[in-house]
Amino acid sequence: MRAIQGVARGPAIRFTVDGRAVEAFAGETLATALLAAGIRVFRRDQEGGGRAPYCNMGACYECLVWVSEAPSGPGVRVRACLTPARADMIVRTAAADDL
Amino acid sequence: MTSDRASGVAENEYDVAVVGGGPAAMAFARTVAPYGLKLVVLDEQPRPGGQILRQPPREFTVTGWLASGGYDGLKRLLGRFDGLDGVRWIGSTSVLGLSPADGGLELSLAGLDAPRAVRARRVLVATGCQELAAPFPGWTMPGVMTAGGVQTLLKSQQFIAGDRILFCGVHPLQLIVADQVTSAGGTVAGVVFAQPWSSAWGLARYAGTALSNLGLLGQAARAMIRLRRRGVPILFGQVPRRALGGDVLEAVELQSLAGEARSAIACDGLALCYGFTPQSELPRSAGADFAWDEPYGGWRVVHDAWMRSSLPGVQVAGEVTGVGGAVKSTIEGEIAALGLLRDEGLISEGEAQARARPLARAHRDVLAFAAMLKALTSPGLALSKMACDETMICRCEMVRLADLKAARAQNVQVGRPSALKLLTRAGMGLCGARNCECAVVRYVAAADGRPIEAADAFTARFPTRSTSIASLL
Repeated sequence: MRAIQGVARGPAIRFTVDGRAVEAFAGETLATALLAAGIRVFRRDQEGGGRAPYCNMGACYECLVWVSEAPSGPGVRVRACLTPARADMIVRTAAADDL
Repeated sequence: MTSDRASGVAENEYDVAVVGGGPAAMAFARTVAPYGLKLVVLDEQPRPGGQILRQPPREFTVTGWLASGGYDGLKRLLGRFDGLDGVRWIGSTSVLGLSPADGGLELSLAGLDAPRAVRARRVLVATGCQELAAPFPGWTMPGVMTAGGVQTLLKSQQFIAGDRILFCGVHPLQLIVADQVTSAGGTVAGVVFAQPWSSAWGLARYAGTALSNLGLLGQAARAMIRLRRRGVPILFGQVPRRALGGDVLEAVELQSLAGEARSAIACDGLALCYGFTPQSELPRSAGADFAWDEPYGGWRVVHDAWMRSSLPGVQVAGEVTGVGGAVKSTIEGEIAALGLLRDEGLISEGEAQARARPLARAHRDVLAFAAMLKALTSPGLALSKMACDETMICRCEMVRLADLKAARAQNVQVGRPSALKLLTRAGMGLCGARNCECAVVRYVAAADGRPIEAADAFTARFPTRSTSIASLL
């Protein structure tokens, strides 16, 4: 949950995660935005187990999600903890990973 | 901070490149910048500060950010760094490799707003540390994080990483983070130490050094008092036995160090705090000499009195030379700066020695404190109790302890970590062995009956951060 005391956040932004609209605040990483939206499984491992942010500093690569700018675009995998959420981003989580 | 066009040097060419933007880097830059050298400082985070000063986004306004808890000196350093001339900041960028080039050094980069590479005559590697991975059954479940991860989500993103967070570890930092979480309105299910309660009195043995470094320990003690007042259980002599839940974390079953089951604690977040390891992949990939960093593990880069590594032109400072805290990092950043200025002939040998003398004294003090803290927070016993055969040691490639044992049993002459890596794929995943190497090295040393200091490392290679092929083309 978002801390409230003493925090003035930036403007709200909207983007799409797995086809549904998610609202976040400018400056939040995708990790924060997804966790705040109640998304707890970011991707699945080779045995189907859920994975989610672990280190929050770009070292573990657990928080990988797919990001594209267009609905049918190829997308790139990014570390959600290092990627700022941007308006109109298209994000996919928990997709089957072939790595 | 100005952009880089001032001196006649070509764009993307610098006098000094600094990898990492935390306390060591900032102290180094503050000391070097006034001499007119052109610096670039690179970091994966968007803003300077490193992990200890993970700043909120520019779009946020946070009143009293890190106001309590002894961060004032570091915040002043951050303010000084932001105001330096001749220093270019390149954030949100990963450094993939370090190699000699045209009489200097080249750093290959991957970042949206970064050049493909920067060149510099000299490099300072100040890449800090990460949390030691502490594997146990279910540790890969969503909701299990590092204490540092919970802390940075809070202090930077102003986000509390769960509705009910349990802390387990050996390091007093977990008290500080738990206190920060409750102060921000979050709920902490408990703080669990592997050490027995009696070990807290070990502090009395180090009264001298402890008093002179009340920073961390004072903060931790005050945090514990506040947590107790809020009714948060503080437990000793226990470690996680298993993380429970369907798809995501729902509870953690604890056990004593003797392996006896203890309570299962309902939680949706688990913050692990078993120590820290140097992030030394970059200099090691370039061939720098290193050694095992006790007691948490990992590889620290060895250096001389002026912080020079075994690689020509490459200095190191901060946690990467051995985990020891932010004060050690700032001292080493400054020593490295003096060494550089001396090597460049910008200050005389006499001046360098004179300025380094008080730093060397302070360095000895802080190393003594770090040694005391390390003696009280050694994770070896806890780690050995937590991992069992079914435990996933390599999170990326799904290699369990049982797989490591089977590979050794089937190939008796093959036991070195790098051989196990080839046989099982442990260490070959996206994280670049950052969360499994220590466990594999510990396993091999124990199975061989050899001291851990004699252990072999996985070979660190380019790229030292996994990246897309597109970024290399």
